[in-house]
Amino acid sequence: MSDEPLLRVRGLEKRFGELRALDGFDLDVAEGRLTALIGPNGAGKTTAFACIAGAQRPSAGSVRFKGREVAGLPYHRIARLGVARTYQVVQTFDAMSVVEAVTVGALLRRPKLSEARAWADEILGFVGLHAKRTMLGRSLTIADKKRLELARALSTEPRLILLDEVMAGLTPTECADAVKLLRSILARGVTILMVEHVMEVLMPLADRVVVLAAGKPIFAGSPQAAAADPLVIEAYLGRP
Amino acid sequence: MTVQRHVAVMACVLAATALFTAFCHDQFLLSLAFTGLIFAVLGQSWNWISGYAGQVSFGHALFFGTGAYASALFATHHGSPWLALACGAAVAVVLALLVGFPCFALRGHYFSIATIAVAAIAEIVVVNTDALGKANGFELPILPPGLASLQFAGKAPYVLVALVLFAAAQIATVALEHSRTGYYLRAIRANQEAAASVGVDARAVKVTAFAGAAAFAALAGSLYAQQTLFVDAESTLGLSVSIAIALVGVVGGIGTVWGPPLGAFVYTFLARYVAALYGGHGRGFDLLLYGALILAIVSVQPEGIAGIARRFRART
Repeated sequence: MSDEPLLRVRGLEKRFGELRALDGFDLDVAEGRLTALIGPNGAGKTTAFACIAGAQRPSAGSVRFKGREVAGLPYHRIARLGVARTYQVVQTFDAMSVVEAVTVGALLRRPKLSEARAWADEILGFVGLHAKRTMLGRSLTIADKKRLELARALSTEPRLILLDEVMAGLTPTECADAVKLLRSILARGVTILMVEHVMEVLMPLADRVVVLAAGKPIFAGSPQAAAADPLVIEAYLGRP
Repeated sequence: MTVQRHVAVMACVLAATALFTAFCHDQFLLSLAFTGLIFAVLGQSWNWISGYAGQVSFGHALFFGTGAYASALFATHHGSPWLALACGAAVAVVLALLVGFPCFALRGHYFSIATIAVAAIAEIVVVNTDALGKANGFELPILPPGLASLQFAGKAPYVLVALVLFAAAQIATVALEHSRTGYYLRAIRANQEAAASVGVDARAVKVTAFAGAAAFAALAGSLYAQQTLFVDAESTLGLSVSIAIALVGVVGGIGTVWGPPLGAFVYTFLARYVAALYGGHGRGFDLLLYGALILAIVSVQPEGIAGIARRFRART
């Protein structure tokens, strides 16, 4: 099983009544790499994230993480196995301070509060949020809320992190900072699977791109090949 | 507040109450102090689950009544009151686990409604059970005073015993705030889904806090029964008791260490003292006053009296 990728998704389905949000979704994520999941609006990217992380229960299919079947496990159990995520619409702990919110994540691997807080401080330094550690979650800007979510996810020391549109709504400067941050997350040995719309961000960063359209993968390969693939162009722009 | 601050405030409160108990000879004031401390413990234990974790319970009297009935049963059957305290707390923990697992599948208002229903069922069961005195309740037999019987000649020793329980509840709350469970409870209140995404098993954490809260509420119920020497369903399990507990928590300030004691102080001294003053001719005046206070607090400062204190400190 040593050749199995860190995350292997096969035939994943998610139905909401008659709607098939995911309809036979396959995905391989190699350890230590950045894999990008792209696709037009409504293609099922966020649903795919939710089903992999366990926030939603897939209707059918297999999700193997570290060689172990995790499809249908409770959300918190999958998190404990080493999958962390951020949300497309930020989900911060508004009434908690920045350092407290990250401590909640840090407590997963460090049950002692003093150690968890020290680790939270270290992660806040890593994402560049240390100066705002005592601010309440609700009083942060959108860019900082996204950083906070990233810090909270990283504080659980995940093997795999799922990033849902971390760049959306950021200014170009903030985007450049975020790219630097992604590179240093990879350097820590954390595998990244990310949904992103900003293609010029992905091009230099992603090792592999998977394109999703109407709940099915239509392409998997290098970012350059994705940009040239007629099926991908058609999915985004329509048939010429 | 830091732990040192909590310890300092705690020491002042304990010293003040002990001094008051030593020098006050007014039995009515002493019984008010006792009631205040009991409600502080009840409000505090309610605060664990409804304040920190944000799962508002209107059935907390279930655990208070469990403790009260444990004392009544042990006293009538010549059991030790100390054993009654332990058994009442143990039964309350088991009840909390049994009630908690299904109820915590619900969230928000649905959870609140479920807690009302569970406490109402308990009240109906008691009112229809011969061994529990039906609707008439229990008179506890009067025993020779002393620690062995946990019955005393005056009110002052009761206040001191309640003070010990109160101190234990406060220490437990400070410890909770500085524990993994405490952080998890607050995270669940803030955003349960996001908490799960970092590995928090929300239901297990809530049930744990619920069980601890139930134990404290049962201990308060046992002491209450030892002092009043009378227990019936309405005064220990009734919805009005559950609501009083919740109001103590809300008025004082949810999710804080000192909110519930402040709320209990206001509830007993303001509401009950005024009620006693106007007793016969001013019926309902206390409720009017208390209602007005609740309206004022909820509209001006939803974080309760403790929130006002915090805001004041932040300004200075």
